[in-house]
Amino acid sequence: MKRASALALVAATALALSACSGGGGNVGGGNSGAGNTALNIGNFADVTSWDPSLADIGFDGPYLSAVYDPLVAVDGDGKPVPALAKDWKVSADFKTVTMDLRTDAKFSDGEPFNADAAVKSLEYLKKGARSQEAYLKVAGFKKVDADTIEINLKERDDTLLYFMGLGRSYMMAPKAIDAGTLAKTPVGSGPYTLDSSSVAGSEYHFTKVKDHWDAAAFKGDPLAIFPIQDQTARDNAMLSGQINVNYADKAAMDQATQQGWNVAKKVSGWVGLRFTDQAGEKFKPLGEVKVRQALNYAFDGAQILKAIGNGLGAATNQVFPAGMPGNLPGLNDKYAFNLAKAKSLLAEAGYPGGFSVTMPMTQVFQVWQPSVDQTFGQLGIKVKWDNMQYMDYQAKAPTYPMFVSFLAMDSNPVATVTRQISTPQWFNPNPQMDKFPDVQAQVSKVLAATPDAQPAEIEKLNTLVTEKAWFSVWYQADNVYVSASNITVTPVTGMMFPTLRQISFKG
Amino acid sequence: MLRFTLKRLISGIILLLVVGTATFFLAHLAIGDPTVGLLGSSATPAQQAALAHKIGTDRPLLTQFLDWGGHAITGDFGTSWRNFQPVSGQISLKLPVTLSVVTFAIILSAVFGGLFGILAGLNPGTWIDKLVKGAAVVLFALPGFWVSLVLVVWFAVNLKWFPAVGYVQPTMSVQGWLRSITLPAVALALGAIVMVAEQLRNAFIAVNGQDFVRTLRSRGLTQTRVVLHLLRNAAPASLTVLALMFVGLLSGAVVVEQVFALPGIGAMTNGSSQNGDIPILLGITVVSVLFVVIVNFVLDVVLGWLNPKARVQ
Repeated sequence: MKRASALALVAATALALSACSGGGGNVGGGNSGAGNTALNIGNFADVTSWDPSLADIGFDGPYLSAVYDPLVAVDGDGKPVPALAKDWKVSADFKTVTMDLRTDAKFSDGEPFNADAAVKSLEYLKKGARSQEAYLKVAGFKKVDADTIEINLKERDDTLLYFMGLGRSYMMAPKAIDAGTLAKTPVGSGPYTLDSSSVAGSEYHFTKVKDHWDAAAFKGDPLAIFPIQDQTARDNAMLSGQINVNYADKAAMDQATQQGWNVAKKVSGWVGLRFTDQAGEKFKPLGEVKVRQALNYAFDGAQILKAIGNGLGAATNQVFPAGMPGNLPGLNDKYAFNLAKAKSLLAEAGYPGGFSVTMPMTQVFQVWQPSVDQTFGQLGIKVKWDNMQYMDYQAKAPTYPMFVSFLAMDSNPVATVTRQISTPQWFNPNPQMDKFPDVQAQVSKVLAATPDAQPAEIEKLNTLVTEKAWFSVWYQADNVYVSASNITVTPVTGMMFPTLRQISFKG
Repeated sequence: MLRFTLKRLISGIILLLVVGTATFFLAHLAIGDPTVGLLGSSATPAQQAALAHKIGTDRPLLTQFLDWGGHAITGDFGTSWRNFQPVSGQISLKLPVTLSVVTFAIILSAVFGGLFGILAGLNPGTWIDKLVKGAAVVLFALPGFWVSLVLVVWFAVNLKWFPAVGYVQPTMSVQGWLRSITLPAVALALGAIVMVAEQLRNAFIAVNGQDFVRTLRSRGLTQTRVVLHLLRNAAPASLTVLALMFVGLLSGAVVVEQVFALPGIGAMTNGSSQNGDIPILLGITVVSVLFVVIVNFVLDVVLGWLNPKARVQ
């Protein structure tokens, strides 16, 4: 009897607690059907910084797009679309972009958004440690009149508007820029303001701005974003109704099928071997095209995708995103898995018994390490692994002739050309373009081509670098998002998590 | 008692100094150049150099250590390399989350562990004794993350009694706060409850067989009074376990905070390690060691009070 009373007491306490809805959490109400406009997002990572100049594009999209408006946004294909800039015109020499600004936006501290505010924000972003990547070719910004600005370029840059749209053109209140307080307290003109009930690192609550100029595009109300690094925790939060948009995996996709939820996915990055010395200046074997081709033939990308990537992605040997401009399906069979061919190419290149190579390794990439060990073992290539912290991997990996990588891709094909092929990046500090005049010439053609002719030139460049085995791409991995039946997510290649503009309610 | 207390205090301070120093040098050795991770791959060498100068990593390591140590003694652990907010302020935001869960878990362990331990100790060989012993084996063997997941699936996903993830500050809602820490605390406490229960059971059986207990009973004392006498004599072993559990639960909170997405010290440690934010890591280490020292100090004093022989030893 006493035991029964004790159990009853425990159950009653639990029920009493569960009946209370104070504070946070939205147990049971998050992913119900139509009519519910609550938007509770389960994101993988916490916000890097509320200061757009220091923020990362990766997973910061939902956070920053809640409190800031961009000048330019992107659609699902990564094409720039108007936001605070109503429209724009690119000059005939491609060196001036003139933007016509909205006049009905204001910052949450009451300051008006105008050309002065836009120029101040852009100048601040140009100096930012992270945001500067979008403005490397910008000479300066100029106010033309109260609602018109000019962006003057040192040279043509076909990626400017794309990078601005990805999350590099968020407009900040001028006084907040001067005060240097944005990292702690965001002040933008966005569709929401950050609520004081937010708990940093756990849950961020937002209050809808009722008179926002684009309020109709942001139906989520109330809005909360939960940074939850653990996939199982996110899946459980989705099942319990606490969140209704989830950065998902295969298990979450299976849940979605059972629950009737929506699934959206798109390729986000390529997995494979990144060569850093195609010219063979420091590591002679990689200078041989046959060796690089052998390393393409030797990996069974489709099988690696199936076994390690849970089949979530596209088996392709290119760095241009599958199904998007630049990617050529006809090239995918160029290096169809053929170990015998790989061995024969190695022999022809003068390495019948393989060679020895040292490569970096860190915990994040260990999942692919056995594939390399096995394949290299079959080719007679002896690999010595230098283990390091992930933090050090970015700095040290490019000092090795090749390394296992997961590299984010871009929707914009010109951005793919510059980032993956022609300009120095952390993963490719020396593109060695001078050693490959034919590649350099084709890159020049791409960058000089008219917009109509550019796609064809990009395809020629892709064919060229694929034939030269510039990379060893095994597959492209998907980013997957599961959402309640009344919510639609449109993934964007280039963002790990899309902004609120890409999350809409049905009906 | 004063000498005993002073000795414990001095040994605690020495431990704090040794761990703080070792952590400083190990962290700096493990994380080479933090500016790459902090600024991202697009930062220029000039920007990296400027940040290195701002956070002081362009100075000799010994200079950095003396600077950090000098300030740490006054409770100033510097500022985060990532967001330039004071470390102590950030820890004071996260610490209540972890302490809420751990303290709740300790209370649950003390109450339920004590209850089951006394019941089993007073009734050796009966079903309740066998149940406690069996549960001790099973629950102690279960991994914390698995227990956490089962609790989430039952009580958050199926019954929807508690949130699956997140933390509510008590200033926002006391009930919301209790709901947010209940499942994590239970997940942490299950192993501790059976440990405390088994220790108390064994101590109870040992003390119960002693002559003075028979004398107490022969004087006609009620069972409640006898149990109180037994408890005072059997308590030291369980108190030691509880103190050890407190330290263990602080580290166990890392896993539980991950499963329940709680913004506590565990999650902060994880994030700072990934970002290479050494000042935060050092601050967390010092505060954690401080808690260990305080808990051990209080335990020693209480044990010394309960058992004068401990003071002599």
